[in-house]
Amino acid sequence: MSISTWGWLVLAFPLAGSLLIALLYRVLSAKAAGWIGTLAIALAFACSVGALLGLLDRPADQREIASTLYDYAGAAGIPFDLGILVDPLSVFMALVVTGVSALIHLYSVAYMGSDRGYRRFFSFLNFFVFSMLLLVLAGNYVLLIVGWAFVGFASYALISFWYRRRTATDAGMKAFVINVIGDIGLVFAAILLIKELGVTDYGAVFELAPEAFTANEWTVVAICLLLIVGAIAKSAQAPLHTWLADAMEGPTPVSALIHAATMVTAGVYLIARSYPLFDLAPTAADVAAFIGLFTLLMAATIALVVTDLKRIIAFSTMSQIGYMIVGVSIGAYSAGLFHLMTHAFFKALLFMAAGSIIAAMAAIQDIDRMRGFRRAMPFTCGALIVGALALAGFPGTSGFFSKDEILAFAATRGGMYWIFAVGGYIGAILTAFYSFRIVFRVVYGEPCEEAKELEGGHLAHAEPVNPATGEVEDTDVGFPGPDHHIAEREWPMKVAMAVLAFGALFGGLIQIPGVTHVLESFLEPVFEASPIAATVHVSTTDAYIGMAVGGLCSLLGIGAAFYLYMVAPGSTLRLRDRFRRLHDFLFNRWYFDELLNALAYRPVIACGRFASGTFERVVVDGIVRGAGDGVGGLGTVVRTAQSGFVRFYALLVVAGLAGLGLYFLLAAS
Amino acid sequence: MLVAIFAIPVAVGLIGFLLPARIVGWWATLGALASLALAVVLVAGFDATGGVLRDVVDESWIPQLGVRFQLGVDGLSVFLVLLTSLLWAAAVLWSALQAPDRPRNYFFMLGLAQTATLGCFLAQDLLLFVLCFDLMLVPLYFLVGAWGTGDRIRATIKMIVYTLVGSLLMLVGAIATAVLSADATGGITFSLEVLRRFPLADGTQYWIFCFFAAAFLVKMPAVVVHGWVVDAYRSCPLPVLILLGGVLSKVAAYGFLRIVIPVFPDASIHFQELLLIIGLASILYGSAMAFTRTGLRDIVAFSSIAQMGFITLGIFSLSGAGGDGSVLQMVNHALVVAPIFLIIALLAERTGTEDIRAMGGMAKRAPVLAALFIVVTMALLAIPGSANFVGELFILKGVFETKVAIALIASSGIAFAAFYALRMYQRTMHNPLPEGADSRELTLREGVVLVPLVACIVALALYPGLITTRGQDSVDRSLASLCEDPYGIAGEPAAVVEADCPPGIEPEPAPEAVAGRGGFDAWTGYGPAAAAGVAP
Repeated sequence: MSISTWGWLVLAFPLAGSLLIALLYRVLSAKAAGWIGTLAIALAFACSVGALLGLLDRPADQREIASTLYDYAGAAGIPFDLGILVDPLSVFMALVVTGVSALIHLYSVAYMGSDRGYRRFFSFLNFFVFSMLLLVLAGNYVLLIVGWAFVGFASYALISFWYRRRTATDAGMKAFVINVIGDIGLVFAAILLIKELGVTDYGAVFELAPEAFTANEWTVVAICLLLIVGAIAKSAQAPLHTWLADAMEGPTPVSALIHAATMVTAGVYLIARSYPLFDLAPTAADVAAFIGLFTLLMAATIALVVTDLKRIIAFSTMSQIGYMIVGVSIGAYSAGLFHLMTHAFFKALLFMAAGSIIAAMAAIQDIDRMRGFRRAMPFTCGALIVGALALAGFPGTSGFFSKDEILAFAATRGGMYWIFAVGGYIGAILTAFYSFRIVFRVVYGEPCEEAKELEGGHLAHAEPVNPATGEVEDTDVGFPGPDHHIAEREWPMKVAMAVLAFGALFGGLIQIPGVTHVLESFLEPVFEASPIAATVHVSTTDAYIGMAVGGLCSLLGIGAAFYLYMVAPGSTLRLRDRFRRLHDFLFNRWYFDELLNALAYRPVIACGRFASGTFERVVVDGIVRGAGDGVGGLGTVVRTAQSGFVRFYALLVVAGLAGLGLYFLLAAS
Repeated sequence: MLVAIFAIPVAVGLIGFLLPARIVGWWATLGALASLALAVVLVAGFDATGGVLRDVVDESWIPQLGVRFQLGVDGLSVFLVLLTSLLWAAAVLWSALQAPDRPRNYFFMLGLAQTATLGCFLAQDLLLFVLCFDLMLVPLYFLVGAWGTGDRIRATIKMIVYTLVGSLLMLVGAIATAVLSADATGGITFSLEVLRRFPLADGTQYWIFCFFAAAFLVKMPAVVVHGWVVDAYRSCPLPVLILLGGVLSKVAAYGFLRIVIPVFPDASIHFQELLLIIGLASILYGSAMAFTRTGLRDIVAFSSIAQMGFITLGIFSLSGAGGDGSVLQMVNHALVVAPIFLIIALLAERTGTEDIRAMGGMAKRAPVLAALFIVVTMALLAIPGSANFVGELFILKGVFETKVAIALIASSGIAFAAFYALRMYQRTMHNPLPEGADSRELTLREGVVLVPLVACIVALALYPGLITTRGQDSVDRSLASLCEDPYGIAGEPAAVVEADCPPGIEPEPAPEAVAGRGGFDAWTGYGPAAAAGVAP
């Protein structure tokens, strides 16, 4: 089969799976829906592998295959084809997306087993993967926007999956609306591209751009800044990041999907994909890098104090995406994408482990309540520790290699870019600390009630309440239902977590400086035109110095967490009281929600209230009333008030206009 | 062909008076489906190349006044004709299922309204257009006044007064146009093809433009002349509301493209910024209102104002992309509004209210309804991947090339739309189910009307190029009038200054007939000396 056929099949399977489950929702048994969904994604993964093998068969400079299905809406000078581009970058993304998603589907088959909305869940989940694949395989910017928006829709549907929860539906809306802001950025970027170049196909844009734009010309900077708006909205970077923490309202596998394989990595992909434009607009690239750095540090500090298990992991995602954004913005393209891949492994793993623990806690997510699960759930705790090690960048794990590759590149590029290296290492210390904050509090210590119950062989049950509001849940629409599922008792969950744990531990070995460079050489044909990649080479010595520093940072963070939570428990409480203000600032997430509310949401609503309450009544209705009154006044004069103002007014108008018309007719003849 | 499409609805309505009341609804449905079938045939055989008029019908009608019965379709109108027939079929079918009081009168009024509306889209004679435009009001007056709900008398009068003032202004404008250009054309004629070749003097164009714009903006409606729309929407019986919100508002937008821009090109350029600002104000104001209102009909009414604002922007960007996007967006918006109104009817039936504060949780027992509604909601907020997105993309591109700032501000309307559309969905389908609400699935009778409409949205989302490719030549042809002196002074095929044309628009080549300047006779009747650009 030709490579483009593989590409189209990658898209076709998840879409078909989604439609099939949706259309057969009455007929399919719950389990069947789950397996169809999983199979669809597994087949998509197989097709991605097919595309990969096809690409590897070709010489390195012929690995870009574009294919068009039909002209979707091209007219009036706007090109709009339904076309895909299969090249090493899109195949790499497709592999990560389908591979990790297939495992998340597998996990969900068991985890969501008792949910009443099981079929709906898998239909949306498949659609989510389809959207993400459309995003990465799209061959032009306009189709990219379509995939981009479909991802937004799928996230809306899944975040508000338990739709009787008000907090969940509000979170879904928030995610969607913020993502629409990003979409608008992309739309204008595409419009500018069409206006300046007349094309949107990647190949054509990148070919024409260097001739059409001089370096740092305002148009190309504007295009890149608009692309960044889209990227930060989707990838949850400051200041458009506030939706991500709320998105934890969705079921845990959805969190895993959003954070690991799909959605938030889209911004990273977009910048990497558009690198020829960013090369022409270094200012915009620097802006993106600083946004990434800021988010990296901000989210890491918030993760230090948040107590909701899933939200800690959510903030760590923001922080890690910050690393990737920094990477692809400063020119470390393959390093940034490498981190995207390893992060997908360990983040999915962390969420799966967290989901298993939350199930054991009967849907309680507060880590203050959790303790000592190591004997009750050895497998889950093992997975959690592996995920935390990789996240912390413990020497030898996948996160260690990928993170250090970005930071070593920043240091080698030198100059201003040292800031990113230094900031990245500080972030690494924080990351190691909060990852092991989870581990030491959840895994170790005196077992909590639920853990003890589980050790006795009984899974805790409680009436499900919304952790955010304390409202009793309506289990009619599904999970959190009466049954919980933990990895210890469900083999699909175990298999999924084991595979990811393997990736999280050993995934870094494909890129050991001076030894292996599998990913780099595969992606090289995509990025070979980049002037930055051509001039900045990280020497093996520098790479190892960087790795030494990174390893130290990681050990420092883990050590600090060990001291505070294991050696001297209770000292964190003292710290919190000592730095109450700082703690509140971090705990309230730097008040970004309040800021956005005050700057955007409330003014808009106030305008709406004013329009609805005052303007409409006074001005719009006033026109009618004024007209009526005016005629009324006239009416009294001619003593025909009893005939009704409005009717008289109409009559007057008719008569007047008829006269005018007659005048013209007469004047003409 | 066109005469049949034009006449069948009213003929069916008339014959309905002879039939027993019981079956008149089904008879009307049959008639509406027949006219839909004809419209489908029309679209299927339509050739859009060159953007010229097709299937032209041209009969002498009132020779003393130079009024002719001229019908024709081009890329601007062909899909609107199909849309009209489609929505009428839906509305008639829905009505037939509801069995209204006094069915003979009711279905006759519906038929009359359809004929009038189709007349507007097909007319190529200015006076015929104006008459059809005014004729639309008559059945509407009775339908809202007699079959409406709530404070229907007040609503009817408000609607009639508002739109009648506009209509009469337009009548004056139309007569004035014909009379004032009589010297140039060689006699009084209302033929649009002729009038557009002999533009009036600037000053005259300006005030006539204002008359036409007033009529169209009221009908659309645009801020601040939308005062009638909320009351009318609240009182209108639902099947009629589909037509009022879906089709009748499009007549106004269509009028700008068909009449105002080609016949009053200088005024269109002169007032471009004003109209853009009105469109922008409609977007912002409509969105702000749609945010805060709690009645479903109010929300849809104001969202329509916002969407019509986008269409106004597209048209008055005076660019090929903007105009083409507007043509697409007219169809899109109608296809979205119609199912929404049906869904509102279903929800009102189940919860006993149209206030979103007292609704919620419908999705649980009605997954099919929820799925259909989410498709419609996504189309309403113009998610990329829907045809509505393509329309907005084209419009924004058109505006962006003319006025960057307006495009940027208008784009906030997209984010607002996401908010109010999702708010509407969330508050009705999600969240806890209120006490006393009866959550149940779509019935077959309801599905028969709703599902095909949603299927149309999906089909168009898969291939919006169907409309954009067929619309663009006709849009370009309308805009070609804007080129400075497109046909040469006094008929001489003079040098055309291309630089004055809107971006991407090329001036239309002066037709051969102009060379000899045959006067009036050469221009009427599409006879032997037929004007180029009119393919019989």
